[in-house]
Amino acid sequence: MSAIGELAHGERQKDESRDNKAGYIFLTPWLIGLVVITIGPMLASLYLSFTSYPLLAGPTWTGLTNYIRMFNDPRLLNSLVVTFTYVVVGVPLQLILALAIAVLLNTGMKGLAFYRSVFYLPSLMGSSVAIALLWRQMFGTTGLVNQLLQSLVVENPPGWIADPSTALGTIILLHVWTFGSPMIIFLAGLRQIPTMYYEAASVDGASKWTQFRTITLPLLSPIVFFNLVLQIIGAFQAFTQAFIVSGGTGGPADSTMFFTLYLYQQGFTNFQMGYASAMAWLLVIIIGIFTAINFAVSKYWVFYDD
Amino acid sequence: MKMMNKVAAGVVTIGLALTGCAAGGGAPTTNDQGQTVIRFSWWGNDTRNRLTEEVIALFEEQNPDIDVQGEPGEWSGYWDRLATQMAAGDAPDVIQMDEKYIAEYGERGALLDLEAAGVDVSRFAPGTVDTGRLSSGLFGINAGINSPTVIANPAVFEAAGVAIPDDTTWTWDDLAQTAQAITEGSSDGAVGSQNYMMVEPIMRVWLRQQGQDEFNEDGVAFDAETLGQFFQQGLDLQQSGAFPSASVASEELTKPVDQTMGATNRLGLFYYWSNQVKAFDNASGQDLQILRPPSMNGDGDHELWYKASMLWSASGRTGNQEAVVKFINFLANDVDAGKILGVERGVPANLDVREAVRPDLQASDAKIVEYLESIESELGDPMTVTPVGGADIELGRWGTEVILERMTPQAAAEGLTTELTSKVQAGA
Repeated sequence: MSAIGELAHGERQKDESRDNKAGYIFLTPWLIGLVVITIGPMLASLYLSFTSYPLLAGPTWTGLTNYIRMFNDPRLLNSLVVTFTYVVVGVPLQLILALAIAVLLNTGMKGLAFYRSVFYLPSLMGSSVAIALLWRQMFGTTGLVNQLLQSLVVENPPGWIADPSTALGTIILLHVWTFGSPMIIFLAGLRQIPTMYYEAASVDGASKWTQFRTITLPLLSPIVFFNLVLQIIGAFQAFTQAFIVSGGTGGPADSTMFFTLYLYQQGFTNFQMGYASAMAWLLVIIIGIFTAINFAVSKYWVFYDD
Repeated sequence: MKMMNKVAAGVVTIGLALTGCAAGGGAPTTNDQGQTVIRFSWWGNDTRNRLTEEVIALFEEQNPDIDVQGEPGEWSGYWDRLATQMAAGDAPDVIQMDEKYIAEYGERGALLDLEAAGVDVSRFAPGTVDTGRLSSGLFGINAGINSPTVIANPAVFEAAGVAIPDDTTWTWDDLAQTAQAITEGSSDGAVGSQNYMMVEPIMRVWLRQQGQDEFNEDGVAFDAETLGQFFQQGLDLQQSGAFPSASVASEELTKPVDQTMGATNRLGLFYYWSNQVKAFDNASGQDLQILRPPSMNGDGDHELWYKASMLWSASGRTGNQEAVVKFINFLANDVDAGKILGVERGVPANLDVREAVRPDLQASDAKIVEYLESIESELGDPMTVTPVGGADIELGRWGTEVILERMTPQAAAEGLTTELTSKVQAGA
């Protein structure tokens, strides 16, 4: 390489480092926030997870006691089953619905902006307390859903939120209903796929379904992957809906006792903040494992069109 | 990398500092007008909030050097908030406390010994002071007396063509038959009785009539077999139609009080503390009748007790002890304060205040006072304070397992007893 080339290279490095400095300065408010309100409390909770901390008195070091106790806590295991069910059923259903609506909206229909907003609305409201309360009313024994069913001559509709076999289902339904954010991301992804692929395929006589399977899905797979990772992480942390729909109890009979809800009860109702901290770290580990698996498996199905 | 280590060390220090800062406090708080500021936290409803604000205004008028800042709240969320405030060293000075939690806070040194601090209980009715006493001191002042009641809705009885039984002689069997008759006689879907199996004070009444109790000085005071019989009774009455169906009953557990079946005239009999009768009178628009819970043999041995509906406590870390004691004395002993508060928090324990309040009582208040005075001569042993860990009994969760027939009554009773015993032992 010539001297001029090297000179230019050096100049560029200097520029880059100056740019970086400016970048970090702009990042400072966020960095301070990260350290003070995320990393600080996280480390504090890591310490507390090795203590017995009854909230009103200070923490005392108990080593691994909290972690060992988790393995002998049947309600904790039950809360894990509830949470896993919610994630494994809720997330795929939500993503399939989001993708289906996104594909529909991408067909170039009139009033796209309007429909896009309408379908996005539940995502804005879905995690709110008001909607969870509304849900509880709708699926109550004498709620809107059962009134509708009764007018359609269903004789004894179940009490959806009062029956342990359906209560979790209503909360999953609420989650699926809030498909707006993955839908918007899918829609953006669909827009990125060059139309010439579809034109070439239809010239070759490929059906719409074949086109979807062989063009849309592979080219959209990075977006699917992104949504999947994000939604799984989010679903593991779901709390508000279960808290409101069950009145904070996780009932009936622990059927909506999410891991996060049990954690909250241990910490704030039973004054066992040490145990609750240990549970929080278990959740971090579980989410970490799921995300790692997601990334490991992704290389077999995610297709990057570079 | 060195930089990163420093950052990490700093973060750990901050984290530990944050967790360690719960201790300390105790400095007096004043505002810029030189007034002593005390914070006063309670749970309640609209009526209570209004009355309490009036009492605060009167107190401030008489004590211009003290500024009382009210922190009203709802029962749900109140305890989470209080626990968090306590842990953060930011507890309110004066705290509306419940008997269920007083040991939880008092035994851990979070509350002020009010007797030592100089609160006056000399005019309190016999037996009404010790409701706030733990081994290490008097941590709560009775804010009003309560007792378990059976509430009968005359409109529902009448519509079903059933007479309200004589509560001095009725038995649990009478209750079961009455409730079943109401369900069968009602044309509009009203049900005879709330499922009392998941009502904690009724469980306690029943256990006491069996010679046991929910708690005593040693902790849990019942055995699984006896509780199993109680659960079995609940299941039987559900199957006979005396109680609502399982899914209705389980849904009732999470409803706000004013939306429950009792408040909406769909129950003949339901079970609450006496001070809640007024709220149900208002919600249902009926002149509800207060009955004693039944006894085993109809001999009038109801084994009832007086409970403090709630208590006045103070934070052990308050820096304004003098103002706090003055304010609690005012709440508990001042006749004018009593006239404002009425019996909304239960019947005043201070006999002077009770007499002063009596002439102005409204109909619903008057019948509550009348009920409490009529049972005074029949009371069983006083109750002991709920031990640490005992607040978390989870009767609703285990009861739901029974009514949904996911567990046998005996298995659920054993589950509850084992769980509660280990919680109480862990707390002791």
